[in-house]
Amino acid sequence: MNLYVLIRFFIGFLFIFSGLEKLLAPYQNFLYVIQSYDVLPDGFETAAALSSPWIELFLGVFLVVGLWTQWVLTGVRVLLAAFIFIVSQAIIRKLPLTECGCFGEFLSLPLPVVVALDSILWVLTVFLSRKIEIVSFMSLDNYFNEKESKSAR
Amino acid sequence: MTTWVIVVVCVIAVLGSKQFCESARTRSQSVESRVKGDEGAPVRIMEFMDFQCPACASGALYLKQFMVEHPRAVRLEMKYFPLPMHRHGMESARYAECASRQGKFWLFHDYLVERQTQWKDLIDARPAFMLMARDAAMDTKQLEVCLRDKSIDAVILKDKAEGKKLAVTSTPSYFVNGETAVGKSQLETKLKALLNDSKK
Repeated sequence: MNLYVLIRFFIGFLFIFSGLEKLLAPYQNFLYVIQSYDVLPDGFETAAALSSPWIELFLGVFLVVGLWTQWVLTGVRVLLAAFIFIVSQAIIRKLPLTECGCFGEFLSLPLPVVVALDSILWVLTVFLSRKIEIVSFMSLDNYFNEKESKSAR
Repeated sequence: MTTWVIVVVCVIAVLGSKQFCESARTRSQSVESRVKGDEGAPVRIMEFMDFQCPACASGALYLKQFMVEHPRAVRLEMKYFPLPMHRHGMESARYAECASRQGKFWLFHDYLVERQTQWKDLIDARPAFMLMARDAAMDTKQLEVCLRDKSIDAVILKDKAEGKKLAVTSTPSYFVNGETAVGKSQLETKLKALLNDSKK
């Protein structure tokens, strides 16, 4: 176990928790959060409320088990960049939001804290992508690669 | 292959857990003094609100107008859901529950939402609530006794606990014929759809 793997697990479990929390509650709760950010057109808001928790969950699960790790890290970065943009525009526009709604009722964070945390996570995923061989320790990617190279011998 | 196994396992686990959570969500009996509208109305709304929340005031004013325009369409039941981030959330609910015990709930409710901007930023909003109680022709001596009654808090917290069981996290949350709508925009969409359905 190394620090990179711990960070991979941390980000993975964070995404699993965030996705699960939204998926187990009525989707209208998260739809209300999206509507409060006032950034997507009407039809897309419902689509985003229904799909993004699943995306968060799958990215988290794949990151923890270490399957398609490089692609998943890219997906995590894209999602984090979207969160940073959405929350930042709410701060700039001074929308009347006191907390992010990222983790439902379990954790309430002020918007600037969310931008800071997401930015740190984004930077961490860049580091993970650059050290993919070390990050892949204890991963299915590693397991399949080893299996493949054994069968090739 | 492994990818699909993981995806299918996740989907089954989440949908199973969701089904379990939804079956655990039950509703309690109505409190008659906080119900208004035609008893046989086709649309039944249960509203969870915090009187200090601006979105709740906006939703309440919209619902009031909707019920004036469609007097036989809606039966509305109000439940307290004071949020800890609102300084006067609990106190305003106490006054409203005491108004309910004097049969003045809806009048006091309307004053609270219509005048919200006048009291929500005050350090002490109790004089503003007292003024509204007088405007609603409430018995203020009876009100003062009522405010000291601990059972008032129990009623409010019971409503809030029920809201939490129903997965309410934000206010205003509505249950329109049992379906969740959070915020005025979702409520509007649901009510318009129900009106269109009834016209067909």
